[in-house]
Amino acid sequence: MVNKSTTNGVSDPNLENKRTKVTLTNSGVENARGTYYSGAYTSVGYDNSFNLNRFKENFKINILSESANELVFEMIGIDAPIANALRRIMISEIPTMAIEKVYIINNTSILQDEVLAHRLGMIPIKVDPRKFNFKLPNKEYTAEDTLIFQLKVKCEKDSVTGKIINETALSKHLIWVPTQDQEEMFPNEEDRPRPMEDDIPIMKLRPGQVIDIQCYCEKNIGREHIKWSPVCTASYRLQPVISVDKSIKGDKANQLLEKCPKKVFDIEDSGQVVAARPLDCTMCRECIRDPEFEQNVKIERVRDHFIFSIESTGALKSREIFQEAIKIFIEKCNIVEESINKLVN
Amino acid sequence: MPCLYICGECGAEHEIKPKEPVKCKDCTHRIMYKKRTDKMIQFEAR
Ligand code: SF4
Ligand SMILES: [Zn+2]
Repeated sequence: MVNKSTTNGVSDPNLENKRTKVTLTNSGVENARGTYYSGAYTSVGYDNSFNLNRFKENFKINILSESANELVFEMIGIDAPIANALRRIMISEIPTMAIEKVYIINNTSILQDEVLAHRLGMIPIKVDPRKFNFKLPNKEYTAEDTLIFQLKVKCEKDSVTGKIINETALSKHLIWVPTQDQEEMFPNEEDRPRPMEDDIPIMKLRPGQVIDIQCYCEKNIGREHIKWSPVCTASYRLQPVISVDKSIKGDKANQLLEKCPKKVFDIEDSGQVVAARPLDCTMCRECIRDPEFEQNVKIERVRDHFIFSIESTGALKSREIFQEAIKIFIEKCNIVEESINKLVN
Repeated sequence: MPCLYICGECGAEHEIKPKEPVKCKDCTHRIMYKKRTDKMIQFEAR
């Protein structure tokens, strides 16, 4: 195999484009599948085999934006299967706490007990799940694996003002009932278990209606039920690259600007059209629908450049969700490695 | 313990004994509802 500098890629620009990018055309997506065969580019002097040092050199993570609940970052130099594995782990394999058992003592509202129980389960609980154990089936509840919330709401008409009190049962009415030494598990006031938001409506009540419920939270993962998923969603997209031919000028340039619903293009002072905001592109292909433009506008995506966005439900920070996902991923790899070793020996 | 039923019309609670007509003693409405159990019921939040 020819051992050339590998970071520059293949010298033939057409081939290099095929190797690194996914192309969008009117008729569909081209080169969606990458070429992983190690000797695929040997004849043009490029070593396509996997190399750990090269991976370490090229791999990058940059945070694009981070707010209280959402993290957007780019991950460069990784294969789609691994990026996808991380995404799936974030959605379905990171444990959180959620209401699982609902003991209804009284419910005179119009919402049926089982519907109400289901609604309660979906409320995100803000508590660090790493402080708890998984509940073992057919075992008693313990302080280490269960959190108890009480929901006791009575809707009434104020006898003086005539105003209706507690017209809506809200998530803030869920009151944590500490058992045993659970108080000591949360020394800080802000770490105490509570619903993530205070104003999630649980149900509407009319005067005279009451609900009296005990909720038991358990720790589990999103694969069991989506209520345990720590993310609203975790997704990724590929980095868009849009290039416009020099031949588009004047009238045609304005036409192209009009076509794009996301206003991706700008006209430079020289009259040349450039894709000024490629990240806004939704890949709607409106700009290449006219065959005249298809020749001159190229919409591509970089195959190994992922833009992740992780929106947390609140139990864990988005950042922590990603870190936990990597830990779980490493654990999974270890299991595979172990079983392979067993086979070999 | 007497079995109390709730009237579907006026909401009054009445006891209905065996062989007695199913009827509200206040408003003669003929649809009476059984009261909810006062025991705790367990549900799965799924
Ligand atoms: S694909 Fe759609 S959003 Fe992207 S540049 Fe073309 S017209 Fe604009
Ligand atoms: Zn009646």
